[in-house]
Amino acid sequence: MKIAFIGLGIMGRPMAGHLLDGGHDLYLHDLRPVPQDLLEKGGHACPSNKEAAAQGDVVITMVPDTPDVEAAIFGPDGVAQGLAPGKTVVDMSSISPIATKDFARRINQLGCEYLDAPVSGGEVGAKQATLTIMVGGSEKTFARIKPLFELMGKNITLVGANGDGQTAKVANQIIVALTIEAVGEALLFASKAGADPAMVRKALMGGFASSRILEVHGERMINRTFDPGFRIELHQKDLNLALSGARALKMSLPNTATCQELFNACAAHGGSAWDHSAMVRALEDLANHQIASKERQKGAA
Amino acid sequence: MNAGFIGLGIMGRAMSARLIDGGHELYVHSHKPAPKELTDKGARDCRTAREVASHAEVIFTMVPDTPNVEEVLFGENGAASGLSPGKVFVDMSSISPIATKDLAQRVNQLGCEYLDAPVSGGDVGARQGTLTIMVGGSEKAFARVQPLFELMGKSVTLIGGNGDGQIAKIANQIIVALTIEAVGEALLFASKAGADPAKVRQALMGGFAASRILEWHGERIIKRNFEPGGRIELHQKDLNNALTGARALNLSLPNTATCQELFNACAAHGGSAWDHSAMVRALEDLANFEIGSQDRQKGAA
Repeated sequence: MKIAFIGLGIMGRPMAGHLLDGGHDLYLHDLRPVPQDLLEKGGHACPSNKEAAAQGDVVITMVPDTPDVEAAIFGPDGVAQGLAPGKTVVDMSSISPIATKDFARRINQLGCEYLDAPVSGGEVGAKQATLTIMVGGSEKTFARIKPLFELMGKNITLVGANGDGQTAKVANQIIVALTIEAVGEALLFASKAGADPAMVRKALMGGFASSRILEVHGERMINRTFDPGFRIELHQKDLNLALSGARALKMSLPNTATCQELFNACAAHGGSAWDHSAMVRALEDLANHQIASKERQKGAA
Repeated sequence: MNAGFIGLGIMGRAMSARLIDGGHELYVHSHKPAPKELTDKGARDCRTAREVASHAEVIFTMVPDTPNVEEVLFGENGAASGLSPGKVFVDMSSISPIATKDLAQRVNQLGCEYLDAPVSGGDVGARQGTLTIMVGGSEKAFARVQPLFELMGKSVTLIGGNGDGQIAKIANQIIVALTIEAVGEALLFASKAGADPAKVRQALMGGFAASRILEWHGERIIKRNFEPGGRIELHQKDLNNALTGARALNLSLPNTATCQELFNACAAHGGSAWDHSAMVRALEDLANFEIGSQDRQKGAA
């Protein structure tokens, strides 16, 4: 299949690589030069989004935020200008569900299909082709694009109509942020009360409190490894989608709001590029106490 | 072994049965006559906690709250008056870690060992012998009681000294409450934004937001099944231990505080005995929207 792929950053680059490995013909564009490894695999560099879209039957976008998607599709020399009826636009970026519904309508008016298909799983998931992909759009289009999704991800769900994929992604990011916060409060309580947080984490892993976050980020908090991973500034963007969405929908998300404020506090201390598990540092500042295993405490003495 | 069990509620009764089935001679006491299911198995019903302690080598207690444990040990005809040097007193209730350290010291002064060994896993875990047991105390006492713990639970961890078991249990309850809240906010957002919350839950289960809570309580929230399970009033007690502990330790737990307020709001609406997953109802009140109501309307139409 002829595929245009727009946005070749940390995520888009390995995803495009998997499509090439799957035997597809890729037309690539990015604000920066197309990475050499993709050209070596046979990808074609295109001078504009319009050009890439003119070549591809399917156009995939993977860019940072809502305005970037809007610029890539509807800006000067954008995707929309290269589309012809029957083509499909698949936005795999994580952006506003409300704006997505508008983009989809405008693409439909050009006689084209639209899927929103944001992912979770990060750089590791993109490299290993194990991304979780949450899709919004028609069943027919989903069925047609699914073989491409399966080259990039493992857990692929058609959630509903356009926008519902983005809504599911926002829900995912709410749970991830709030569970990081929950694990942070719990380990901080245990540590300041004098128990060994590493033993507490271990004891809790078998029970009802167990989660991927307790497993992976609980360990990061105890071992103090806050290299990203997933950067706080990206999670702030996602929670902003949640909170501005909540305002538009007239609903109250009290702990999402608190978590965003804790991320803001991290950013104030130079932490925009810390891993999101470093949210615990804002709690540690409030507590004037740092989580540390008994071993580390002894080691420091 | 001659063992004792004081407190024969939903949890204590099931745990006692497993000790008898494991071949132990069990002396029991509760403020009501012992249930027939236990005496039929050969449990010996004692009139006082003191009588239990004088017959048994290891004495378990499983009662609702800190004052109840104090009463069992040091009240009139309490277990302490029946203890003799070399015995082990094991408190499996979920109570204050600070009070626990004091109780342990007073039991040690009688020449006896003390273990705090609160559990997680509810009545189902108690019946099936799959409880998570978090233990505080000496390694020697733990090794002595471990074969009995293994009849009642699957994941048994010695966390540290006395009180550390209770600290781990509080950490567990913080994570459980805050993750329920996280799943509540996420599914409420998804549903009010127009997506199908059941599809969203399904899409998220494979990814980084996956947890036992999303699996079990996410389903309860979607199916509106709030029969307990774990009652809100019991979780309020646990969060109260967390928040009074945090105050004593000079520690700020912002989302634990918010979750307790949401539980309080449920109680104000007659929900003290609802399952703790019904915390989402307080969020739904704030949003003036019930999860899944749109989909049910469609189904009804």
